[in-house]
Amino acid sequence: MGAGARWRHPLVWAWAATVLVFMYVPALCLLLASLTSSRYFIFPITKWGVAWWEKTFDSLEIHALFRTSISVALCLTVVAVVIAFCGALAFARYQWRGRTLFQRLVLLPIFFPQSVLGLALLLWFSALGLDLSWRTAVFAHLVWIAPVVTLVIAIQVYSFDPALEEAAFDLGASRWQVFREVTLPVLFPGVFSGALFAFLLSWGNFPLSLFSTGADTTIPEYLYAKMVAGYTPGVPVLGTVSTVGAAVLLLVGYLLIRLGRRSRRDDAVERT
Amino acid sequence: MAAGSRAPGPRFALPVLGLLLVGFAAPLLAVIGYSFMPERTFGLWQEPTLDNYASVFSGTSYISFLWSLALASATVTVLALVCYPIAYGLARVFGRWSPLITLLFTIPLFVSENVRLYGWVLFFIKGGVLLGTLKSVFGIEIESWLFTRGIILLGMVYVYLPFMLFPMTLGVAMVPHETSEAAADLGASRWQVFREVELPLSMPGIVIGFLLTFVLAVGAIVEAKVLGGQQIIPITHDIEIAFTYAQNWPLGAALAVLLMVVVGVLVIGVLRRFDLDAVLGRR
Amino acid sequence: MSQTHILRLDSVVKRFGGLTAVNGVSLAIAEGEFFTIVGPSGSGKTTLLRMLAGMDTPSSGDILLRGERINDMPANQRPTCMVFQSLALFPHRTVGQNIEFALKIRGVDAATRKARALELMAQLRLPADYYGKSVTKCSGGERQRVALARSLAYDPAILFFDEPLSAIDYKLRKTLEKELKDIHRETGKTFVYITHSLEEAMVMSDRIGVMCAGEMVQVGTPDEIYTAPRTRFVSEFMGDVNVVPVRLGPDGRLHSDDPPSVFKAPTLPEGFARGHLVVRPESMRFVERAEQADNHVAGRLYNEYALGSRIQYQVRVGERVFIVERLRQQAFAGRLDDAVLIGWDAANSLVVGD
Repeated sequence: MGAGARWRHPLVWAWAATVLVFMYVPALCLLLASLTSSRYFIFPITKWGVAWWEKTFDSLEIHALFRTSISVALCLTVVAVVIAFCGALAFARYQWRGRTLFQRLVLLPIFFPQSVLGLALLLWFSALGLDLSWRTAVFAHLVWIAPVVTLVIAIQVYSFDPALEEAAFDLGASRWQVFREVTLPVLFPGVFSGALFAFLLSWGNFPLSLFSTGADTTIPEYLYAKMVAGYTPGVPVLGTVSTVGAAVLLLVGYLLIRLGRRSRRDDAVERT
Repeated sequence: MAAGSRAPGPRFALPVLGLLLVGFAAPLLAVIGYSFMPERTFGLWQEPTLDNYASVFSGTSYISFLWSLALASATVTVLALVCYPIAYGLARVFGRWSPLITLLFTIPLFVSENVRLYGWVLFFIKGGVLLGTLKSVFGIEIESWLFTRGIILLGMVYVYLPFMLFPMTLGVAMVPHETSEAAADLGASRWQVFREVELPLSMPGIVIGFLLTFVLAVGAIVEAKVLGGQQIIPITHDIEIAFTYAQNWPLGAALAVLLMVVVGVLVIGVLRRFDLDAVLGRR
Repeated sequence: MSQTHILRLDSVVKRFGGLTAVNGVSLAIAEGEFFTIVGPSGSGKTTLLRMLAGMDTPSSGDILLRGERINDMPANQRPTCMVFQSLALFPHRTVGQNIEFALKIRGVDAATRKARALELMAQLRLPADYYGKSVTKCSGGERQRVALARSLAYDPAILFFDEPLSAIDYKLRKTLEKELKDIHRETGKTFVYITHSLEEAMVMSDRIGVMCAGEMVQVGTPDEIYTAPRTRFVSEFMGDVNVVPVRLGPDGRLHSDDPPSVFKAPTLPEGFARGHLVVRPESMRFVERAEQADNHVAGRLYNEYALGSRIQYQVRVGERVFIVERLRQQAFAGRLDDAVLIGWDAANSLVVGD
């Protein structure tokens, strides 16, 4: 390293900053486009205004969209976290024959094109004769999101000391007490991150929703339909809302995790 | 846990395995089943036939297939070059800023990709943020780049960047700092340290990043639609058309099966070489 | 020693698939005894302890607690408690909550729990204001005491220790070893301790059991283990010793092929024919003439090492290395590569089987 690092490190910083700006150009464009009071987007904007924000939030159609998207994301989060928590224990906590195979199977849906998965589920639902609705969408999201959440929680499980469970059991706790008093609280940060991921991934998902919601419509689907035909500045308004919403939720979650972890890390520092 | 709890591993694996069986394996089998059905049928219990596969290769779909593969390869190549310095920075340079920077790269992941791509449309469109600024500030008028192949590639690079960046960062973080220093101490140049030590040791993360972005990019559909006009027709578009407008499920299924084969061979071939405990569980 | 046995093991065997981790161990541990099981890693000592604590069940054989067979009794119902190698303190709980855990599980009310916790903290020299402190804020030694207090809280009949001191630095470990022995004295409980360090076992134990390859090869007081090891393994486990393969000749002397020599024998056990002659380094000395010791060999001084109060010398005799230790005050004045003569008296040696 040595002398080279002196000029290389600023370059790395500069490059990361450039790419970050690149990542946020679209969000910025959406924000700008939403702040016009004219029907079409012409830049530079001549007539600024928040008329389209008001219009969008007053629309009953939009309220229904929010309800659908939130219902899907909430149901999905609950089910995904329960399934993934068990999955993460099997993935990282216990040694058992077939674990390596299990780990690979869990990864398969993640390493699979989502649009094809969406179509396959459409075929499957129709073969089963199911009516498509937001409930089938929950299931479709689950196939992709539960494995992701399993990985997120598994990372926390890897750092879990199995002796904690044995110690509690040895001190007289029943299996349920061990789980409630030790396993769950110690793994909680992982479960929390997992839930956050589950909610946000479902909230922003398009390819799986497209083929699985039937008559119900989620926000990404609605936006896509409007983009292809019938642009109004309501599109950037909703786009901005969902970007900012995701950012706020993630930042708050991140700060909560940091707070929890910092109190533990400070302890560790004091100890040495 | 302890005596009495026989084999908790398989028991805890059960819910996920059940989900994968009903929600992943079964649908894929249904697709495979449909791909052998006669044209334009909607049931699964007809006489099996290979006609759909024959028509895939006699039609134009194979061109879409090649486009998808080419586009995915290009995406992976560009992403590798864009992401490595950032992954290096996150693992080695940014220090206490790393978590925050990681977070900033994560946020876009949770916004629907079509919304984000639409932001680029607003940027590049005639009278949009870029051309509008050029015209009003500098008086320059140029053709919009929207609906060109380059823009599709930009969109794909943009959408899949986090999927390359995060596994890569895990990979780079797996290289112990001392090994780089030891190599330098033994007389290796910066380039030699990278080639002989850092690159091989961070390979697991890098390969997973390559695989993930390639697979997702092969299945990409929105980029070409939102940004590309009709410049490139990816295979997923053909599949969707077959399922929707053309109402020819068996043909769509045959196309999907071919895509699944390519993806499956790649994924299984690569993943079987990995010790996932080593990549994920750095205790 | 008391004649009432609190814990008895009868031909306990544990197999994992094709591997036999514990191979027919029989043992009786007395009430109030500090019993230590020593052995290298892989000797089966941890598996044995886990069976005693109820975290594994024996494949065959019996474990009896006060005469009652407890093979299949799970850990949460046994009146025994374990102090883990990692200590396994609950990181999300305070010192007080950790100590009270077992009482809370048993439905003891909060006031009684707190009184008991404070009483134990006083006994283990933990300041009372640590009660509300997070366990992650405690130092290494404090964490040991919290773990011990947590195990003592519900007054278990036996305390098991799974190498709790192995991750602690040398100086603190030496202090804690003595503290643990004091606590054993104060509480009067039965302690069963496992470690890979015979040195650690010597300091604390009433009796020691040495394990090797799943079998208990010798059980005895620290003094017996030190002065009368029964096998080559036990003698070498204690530290550096000189071991020479020998056979008993018709002349009543011990014959060795490497180095080719004949030695005067110590008192031999009944029926001894062949085995190993063991001489501790401190029983070896440099001599000038062969007559100055019962036995002697000639070699070259290869190297010397300062071990604090003592100095260790390595002497090469052909391909074999002999170790001689002297007190620093009696350092040997030879130079490296000098030809030297080393010797020992038969009374200071012993013979062991394989």
